[in-house]
Amino acid sequence: MKFLPLIWRNALRNRLRTTLTLAGIAFLLFVLIFVMTGLSEIQAWEGVAATHLRVVVQHSEGLMADVPIELENFLKGDVIAAHAEHVCKFNWFGGYYQDPKNWPPEFAVDHKEMRALFDELKFSDEAYRKYCETKTGALVGISLMKKYNWKVGQRIALIGTFYPVNLELDIVGVFTTQNPRQEEQMFFRWDYLDELLENRKIVSTYWMKARSDEDIPRLKELIDAHTKNSSAPTETITEKEFAAQFMQMMGNIKAIVAGVGALVLLIMIMMTANTMAMAARERVTEVAVMRTLGFTAGRILWIIVAESVLVSMLGAAIAIGGSLLVFNVVKVSPHPIYFPVFLVEARTVVVALLAALLCGLLSSAVPAVRAARRKISDGLRQVV
Amino acid sequence: MGAPVVRVQGVSKTYYRDQTPVPVLEGIDLEVAEGEFVALMGPSGSGKSTLLNLIAGIDRASSGRVEVAGSELSQLSERALADFRSRHIGFIFQLYNLIPVLTAFENVELPLLLTPLSSSARKAHVMTALEVVGLADRKDHTPRQLSGGQEQRVAIARAVVTDPTLLLADEPTGDLDKKSEEEILVLLKRLNTEFRKAIVMVTHDPRAASCAARTVMLEKGALVSKA
Repeated sequence: MKFLPLIWRNALRNRLRTTLTLAGIAFLLFVLIFVMTGLSEIQAWEGVAATHLRVVVQHSEGLMADVPIELENFLKGDVIAAHAEHVCKFNWFGGYYQDPKNWPPEFAVDHKEMRALFDELKFSDEAYRKYCETKTGALVGISLMKKYNWKVGQRIALIGTFYPVNLELDIVGVFTTQNPRQEEQMFFRWDYLDELLENRKIVSTYWMKARSDEDIPRLKELIDAHTKNSSAPTETITEKEFAAQFMQMMGNIKAIVAGVGALVLLIMIMMTANTMAMAARERVTEVAVMRTLGFTAGRILWIIVAESVLVSMLGAAIAIGGSLLVFNVVKVSPHPIYFPVFLVEARTVVVALLAALLCGLLSSAVPAVRAARRKISDGLRQVV
Repeated sequence: MGAPVVRVQGVSKTYYRDQTPVPVLEGIDLEVAEGEFVALMGPSGSGKSTLLNLIAGIDRASSGRVEVAGSELSQLSERALADFRSRHIGFIFQLYNLIPVLTAFENVELPLLLTPLSSSARKAHVMTALEVVGLADRKDHTPRQLSGGQEQRVAIARAVVTDPTLLLADEPTGDLDKKSEEEILVLLKRLNTEFRKAIVMVTHDPRAASCAARTVMLEKGALVSKA
């Protein structure tokens, strides 16, 4: 600690150079945090989905095609009931609130089944009673309520983009859950949407809860075999697989993130190494003087490395502080549809800190070793 | 005079420039007693600074023995040499060589950071050293805010703050005006007489050399006279 003032002053010796290096590191780490947060948000849904026994029946061509409502009779029949319960229609509405920038995730569901199907959502019996009694009723996640400053009893309008209708919903209750991402969602009644669509009976997907893990493969087999030779063949998948297909739609995100991460680290190291090399070159005589005073080569090496790590860590602090402010406090989302929630996680912060530490260590390694190894008499003769 | 603080016996130093040997010192014998003030004179390239570096333990002799404060320097590892320098050597450079980002106080404190002294003990030592050189009131000034003479006085405070056995000065007045030169010489003389510090000073200037009790002449890497 007693060397900290020396390390700090050395780091700030050339303020413009240090500021530019700091800004560069902060920007690059911000990019890393941004990309990693995108990945973790996608994986978060997969992670949560994996904890439930929910199964999704969608058209074999994907979400752009609908599932025929006639399938519901089969799904609620005895064959499937032996393996699953709480069969529920599930449509993503895709409307915005007031401004096309505001895309709360809204889902039309069967009001009688949704409570049992999404049993992780916590809301009062009174709220659920009103939801069942009110065709225009909506249950809204607590984060979404706060985000738009909504109140229970308020009527809100959602402008349809995917469907050619607008919703006028009455907020009848608020739900909470352990997963903050789900608290950004809202549920309204499928029969209300169907009424607006003039009873066209459009169903995007059917969701249900398997009775056990062992029932899931059997469900897939039974449902897909039933629709195989129909005009609307289905693909029955778990909720986790359903979440994963969104990730696949965006390409090989993991490879992109890994590539961006490696690139960020490489550029950071090169940039900081350049700064440290210049700093070490300017201080050849000073290092020789310090060694004349009794500083060992190892201590000199440590001081130079510590300076580099300090600069990198300051850059990391700016990047982490900035991204936490933007994404976790102000709650900015880069894409409200794909990322209704965009929260920087603790592990992302840890990775950013480790990247900065690695950058500090690697970028200063060569200049530090060269400075420490140079003969004192050579250093004293050097004219910088 | 007391026992020898410096004992140089048959020391030679050869540098290699593109594998061509360049002898700088040859068969040097020199002793400096405790509390003695020795001036080392000679033309440029005669090997004065090289000899000073060998005594300081910042360079190694090609052959011969250099013994300082009872330690045979060729026997010491790099780490032990660093420890030896921090305990026994106070070095004063021609160009002061203060760390520009540190204040006068912090520059003087620098060698004490290598000791186990507490912060308050370090402060007391630094203030004593700055008072000795008459710059206690400039402790918060950076080198840029000091004159050349003041910088050299801070450098002297840095050299004496650990109470070393031996002070080595390489042209300490070479970059100063007349008045500052005088002040530095008076200060060195005082350190020698009042604080009984053994001093070896490299100089070109006969007037500076006259402050020393003894002058040693070097020419082409060999001692030519001892006055």
